[in-house]
Amino acid sequence: MAKHKAIVKKEKCLACGGCISVCPQDAILWISSKAVVDSTLCNSCSICVKTCPIGAIVWEGTEDAL
Amino acid sequence: MHYDAVIIGSGPAGSVTARFAAETGAKVLIIERRAEVGVPVLCGEGISQKVDTYKVLEGKRWIATKMQGARIFSPNKTMITLAAEYAGNETGYVVFRDIFDQELARGAANKGAELLLNTRAVSLLKKNGKINGIKAQQFDETIDIEADIVVGADGVESRVGRWAGIKTTLKPYDLETCIQYTLTNIDWDSPYCDFFLGKHVAPGGYVWIFPKGKDTANVGIGILASLSDAGKAKYYLDKFIASQPALKKGQPLRILTGADPVAEPIQSVADNLLLVGDAARQVDPITGGGLMHSIEAGKYAGETIGKAVEKQQFDIKMLSEYETRWKESFGKKLHRNYVVKEIMLDMDDKTLDMLADSLKDYKFEEFSTLSIIKALVTKHPSLLVKLTPLMKLARA
Repeated sequence: MAKHKAIVKKEKCLACGGCISVCPQDAILWISSKAVVDSTLCNSCSICVKTCPIGAIVWEGTEDAL
Repeated sequence: MHYDAVIIGSGPAGSVTARFAAETGAKVLIIERRAEVGVPVLCGEGISQKVDTYKVLEGKRWIATKMQGARIFSPNKTMITLAAEYAGNETGYVVFRDIFDQELARGAANKGAELLLNTRAVSLLKKNGKINGIKAQQFDETIDIEADIVVGADGVESRVGRWAGIKTTLKPYDLETCIQYTLTNIDWDSPYCDFFLGKHVAPGGYVWIFPKGKDTANVGIGILASLSDAGKAKYYLDKFIASQPALKKGQPLRILTGADPVAEPIQSVADNLLLVGDAARQVDPITGGGLMHSIEAGKYAGETIGKAVEKQQFDIKMLSEYETRWKESFGKKLHRNYVVKEIMLDMDDKTLDMLADSLKDYKFEEFSTLSIIKALVTKHPSLLVKLTPLMKLARA
């Protein structure tokens, strides 16, 4: 199974920057005051998904199910 | 554009650095990625009254409530009361952080600092291998800002340090992931900042209630990111609020998320670059409080920038004066509290309850680590084993 990439649901992101501070790949950055994952750098480690206090980061392809 | 120093971030660390640098005559620019200084607020808004001694804030508009102290509730709700002078950096005033930050920025501007909003640092500029400014995105335009010193005051998520090769990525066990409501219409009129501990309350962290006027308070939670899962912080906070009859009718005026580094102090200087505030992990690893440290370190950073500009020397040797000053002043405390954080994370709820039971009648006027430990083990001798690492620290 191909690994999913993390994506930030921008309607849910409250821009605390927690995910950026823990991403070991340095794959998350600010775009228009929301956290955005660069999927070319994401290695699917799940740290950002678990860290987000409101669950705004999900796996690509599963976002509709949540 | 050429500046002596460009400061990335207009939070307290950035503005205070700018203020003290500008005061020496240095030409200083602050850039802020957001559209308004201090907005959105990302903080529990507690600060020690020690802030008054720095004289960086005018008037009282930034104060929401003056506190008398703190109360800590163990998992079985045993209460410990601490007077404000012993309660650490997080109680004293509950502030309006948006006004607070804007007052600090105003102070910097009054001393001659310039500000650019909607301006995001994208990368460092280098000339002959040396940092000489930043590339930034201002609205839809890319601009080069030349500066002899780049200051990363860009918060917990700091990228400036990483660009200069300083490892700032946090491990999940060194980050508290937070969420807070400002609740109004609550039945809460207390002169205390309250902290609630327990595995089922806030794993690896705590819930706080910081009063903000008579029927309003900041009610928030931080949990250790290594014990977190998607949306867990919100889940635990909502559960806590539902369990408190006094908070149940509360309506939110604000919701915010936050991230708080509870890490060891790091290297904060490189050639032509310094880090200040959350970016330098100048945060108490036990309480997560950092406002007071940001202001103190900002003063040192600004003064060092002044000297560097006067001598036109911007290498790490020159800038190290800043690092030496803040590490001597509170770096050791941060390291010690990091060790205490690790000890506390190992404690189960029962141990925390025993600790609280030993301390509930303790008179905190005689405050020293050793005397507290003595009080603890007199009542609950079995605590002795768990506190051995603490006693080693107290003697060190």
